[in-house]
Amino acid sequence: MTARLPLPDPSPTAWQARLDLGFERRDAATILARRHHLGPLRIQKALYPEGPELCHAIVLHPPAGICGGDQLRIDIEVGADAQALLTTPGAGKWYRSSGQAAEQRVNIKVGAGGTAEWLPQESIVFDGAEARMRTVVDLAEGARYLGVETLCFGRRASGETFARGSLHLASDIRLAGQPVWHERGRIDGGSALLHSPIGLAGFGVCSTVLAAGFATPPETLTACRGTTSAEDAAQFGVSALPQVFVARYLGHSTEAARAWFVALWQHLRPVFIGREMAVPRIWNT
Amino acid sequence: MNLARLLQLASPALPVGAYTYSQGFEWAVEAGTVKDEATALTWLGDQLEWNLGRYEAPLLAQMMNSWKVGAGEPALDARYLASRETAELRAETLQMGYSLRRLLGELDDLPAPFMAQIAVPPAPTFAWVWSGVATVWQIPPAEALTAWLWSWAENQVMAALKAVPLGQAAGQRILLEIGRRIPVVVERAIALDDDNYSNFAPGFAIACARHETQYSRLFRS
Repeated sequence: MTARLPLPDPSPTAWQARLDLGFERRDAATILARRHHLGPLRIQKALYPEGPELCHAIVLHPPAGICGGDQLRIDIEVGADAQALLTTPGAGKWYRSSGQAAEQRVNIKVGAGGTAEWLPQESIVFDGAEARMRTVVDLAEGARYLGVETLCFGRRASGETFARGSLHLASDIRLAGQPVWHERGRIDGGSALLHSPIGLAGFGVCSTVLAAGFATPPETLTACRGTTSAEDAAQFGVSALPQVFVARYLGHSTEAARAWFVALWQHLRPVFIGREMAVPRIWNT
Repeated sequence: MNLARLLQLASPALPVGAYTYSQGFEWAVEAGTVKDEATALTWLGDQLEWNLGRYEAPLLAQMMNSWKVGAGEPALDARYLASRETAELRAETLQMGYSLRRLLGELDDLPAPFMAQIAVPPAPTFAWVWSGVATVWQIPPAEALTAWLWSWAENQVMAALKAVPLGQAAGQRILLEIGRRIPVVVERAIALDDDNYSNFAPGFAIACARHETQYSRLFRS
């Protein structure tokens, strides 16, 4: 039923990388029970900055960025009652392609009573990149998810815009097998969508925050609506569907988008994950 | 094709309450993004080109294909609902779906097997029920999509007349231009493969979300 992104033929120099992680609850602790990797995707050791119940893991992709033909696949399984938070050590870079598409698939499965936070740092889509990003979250009844995706179109610091190439996005969340969130995006470099008021409205940074598996309490929604941004020009909005909280941000600064997310997370994390906010230390380095 | 049936289905007189929704347009006016005829046309033209034309319209065509072979695929209904990204957009399609289904029950025109099928989901989307009626009334997909998009445009222009506000002639000029673009959008929508669907429209999504707390408002979305 769901659309499949085309799998490009990898070039001889392209990386095929896989990471397969399984988190399980053992007594009072979440342990990293399964960790397989293939090619240049790794995680550092399991970290417990918040105590044994919630495991932090940092996903590393040692090549500096993602090139045309690369295929990355990350499978994360969080078992019943286990809690995991995953992030990355820095921005993901999607390099200009000479033609072949690069693909990243992230599949997250969470068992009953489990929680998963998927908080990668921003993805910078270089001018001329052919990027395919797909995220599928499968929640059991009673499982929770909180995630952020930040896209940065072109290397902003050097004034680069996204004039050529393309980005295909696919984002799905299912709860007990039923779709509760479904988005497809096709953004071509230089497209009018980049400047359209209904699209990116001329902004180079776009963040989407999704939290699922729980009805957002009215007071949490109100608090999130009150969240502001340090960027005067930024546009943002939040809404609550029956089982999904959604927030969008458009601006020029990834730092401001991050700060906006952290402010939302502060309100969302206690209700979705049952914990106070704890900013991963790696974000400060 | 029964043209009268199609006109009835696309008519603003269809009592499903379409006129009470602006789909974020009212916020776009509040925010100053839409302030005159030219900016209203930009908003509506971009919605047609980048959102409805590449997601809703092709999905409607898929729904019609599934109705044609016997039963409307409930997974398509669920997928459409999951693609409504704010509380108001979701409430809009569910309310209109409910109203259309109830109306059909009072018309005594559609075959019993069809009525039984649309009775299955507890809360069907408007697009799913509408695509079923269009199929049962033997309206070809291209004509049905044209009518769907036209009726959306007409409704949005009616909202623009009140919200901007715009004069009647300005509204008709916008409809002329949107009407000129619809055939190309429909042709592309029918041929669009799944990998090229796109409902990624963050500016639109933010407008719909902000509308939920807009202080003074005429519309329900």
